Amino acid sequence: MALKPETRGYLRSEHAIRLIKVSTYYSGETKPAIRDITLEFKEGDLALISGPNGSGKTTLLETILGLLKPKTGKVFLLGYEVPKMAALARKQCGYLPQDFMKPAGEPFSVKEVVAMGLSSIRPLGKLSLEDWDSVYEVLELLGIRDLANRPFGRLSGGQQQKVMLARALVRKPRVLLLDEPFSALDRESRAYLSEEIIPELVRRGTTVLLVSHDTTFRPPNCSKTIYMRDGIVVRVEE
Amino acid sequence: MSLLPLILTATIAGALAGSLCGCTGVTCDRLGLRTVAFAVAHGALAGAALSFLLEVNSLVLGIAFALLTALLLGPLADAFEIPIDLVSMTLFSLYNALTFIFLILSPGIVLAAEKVSQVLWGSVLAVTPEYLIILLTLAFLYALFLITFWHRIAPILFDRRLAEAEGINVRAYTYALIAMTGLVVVFTLRITGGFLVFSLIYIPASSSLQLSENMKRIVLLSALLGMISAIAGVYMSFLLDLPVGSSIVICATVILVLASIAGYFRKRSIIRSVS
Repeated sequence: MALKPETRGYLRSEHAIRLIKVSTYYSGETKPAIRDITLEFKEGDLALISGPNGSGKTTLLETILGLLKPKTGKVFLLGYEVPKMAALARKQCGYLPQDFMKPAGEPFSVKEVVAMGLSSIRPLGKLSLEDWDSVYEVLELLGIRDLANRPFGRLSGGQQQKVMLARALVRKPRVLLLDEPFSALDRESRAYLSEEIIPELVRRGTTVLLVSHDTTFRPPNCSKTIYMRDGIVVRVEE
Repeated sequence: MSLLPLILTATIAGALAGSLCGCTGVTCDRLGLRTVAFAVAHGALAGAALSFLLEVNSLVLGIAFALLTALLLGPLADAFEIPIDLVSMTLFSLYNALTFIFLILSPGIVLAAEKVSQVLWGSVLAVTPEYLIILLTLAFLYALFLITFWHRIAPILFDRRLAEAEGINVRAYTYALIAMTGLVVVFTLRITGGFLVFSLIYIPASSSLQLSENMKRIVLLSALLGMISAIAGVYMSFLLDLPVGSSIVICATVILVLASIAGYFRKRSIIRSVS
């Protein structure tokens, strides 16, 4: 079967993510949430997307994943055009959403929540013993191994955020999208994530897009910083 | 004539219907599809009422209306970008209106007819061997569906958006669960009646949520409590000569009260052990 030009392009490892003049509207809105965005991210890029609240950072991530359909323009994720072929691309991505908090009665345990990260990339979602080993490994990496059997809803905000990060990491993603990943973490955990875990992922070739409303924050080894305001990219620093 | 075979088949049917409804209640609750059962059940009522007007088989039209509703709810909500609960409640109201219009226009004093009361309030007399086979098949299919796809369904029950972001076909699984809900409602309302079927769906689910914080246990407990409610209700109906649907709801409510008391003490003991 002939590959689409963009797919052939990706096989030459040009871009992990590519947006071409993308505008996304929320249903019923006349003003776009993001407008005319053209961006490219290579394999192994660590990009910070920064800007005030409501500037379109989360919309940008959700458009990249195909959760929101762009009204104009084209989005390619790992060579797949999204949202048309999003399901294939998403299986190779990890996503930490901004609104991760669950109420106290949430009836899934920590290890179950992390294992869910593997469900979509295994046949019928069934996990092997090796899969469970990698669940425990990633819990260990984030220092929450002892929480494995606790109900997710009974954890603090910071602990819940670490569990959701573990869920994204256990997938061994080629593209990792982190939406405000430090919002509930203490200073020590922030430093560990930004100075050790993320650089290691980037070194292994994972493309990391990190959204933060804190305009003063800049992780080490950041290859690109994108400033957004009112749905447009106002500045890109390489 | 001995009542024993009738009681036995009614008990088995009640147990199957109760466990099916219990499972369905938990998945509907977690998916935010609480009103789907209302729309589907009242779709069946409207279908049955139309059958009285047209003087055709009430079961066939009831099933057709209910299944059509279950299959259309998800795509309708997605196509018009309206919350599914709103679509459900609109259809629920429409079906109520249609039911009364069809019944009023039907020949004879239909509201007093036995078959109408069966549809509205349920009856153990509706439990035939064929009906038992249908319920058994449905229970088997539902269990098979949940066991086979649990690892895909669980992430959706936890967080639909995140499951979608991770590449799970959330829409397909949700539609399948709605269709399953439709089938469960259609085939259970012969026992409980269209007005009370959702009680058997939601009350055991609420009870199980009081007793556990483990999703798999909640689903199993809900099925078990639904089964116990239905069996107890069938016996209560026979012993006190009461409508079976009402008896089941009373039993399910008593279990909910007991579960809430047990849940209160369970939560207090957890707080004490933490502090």
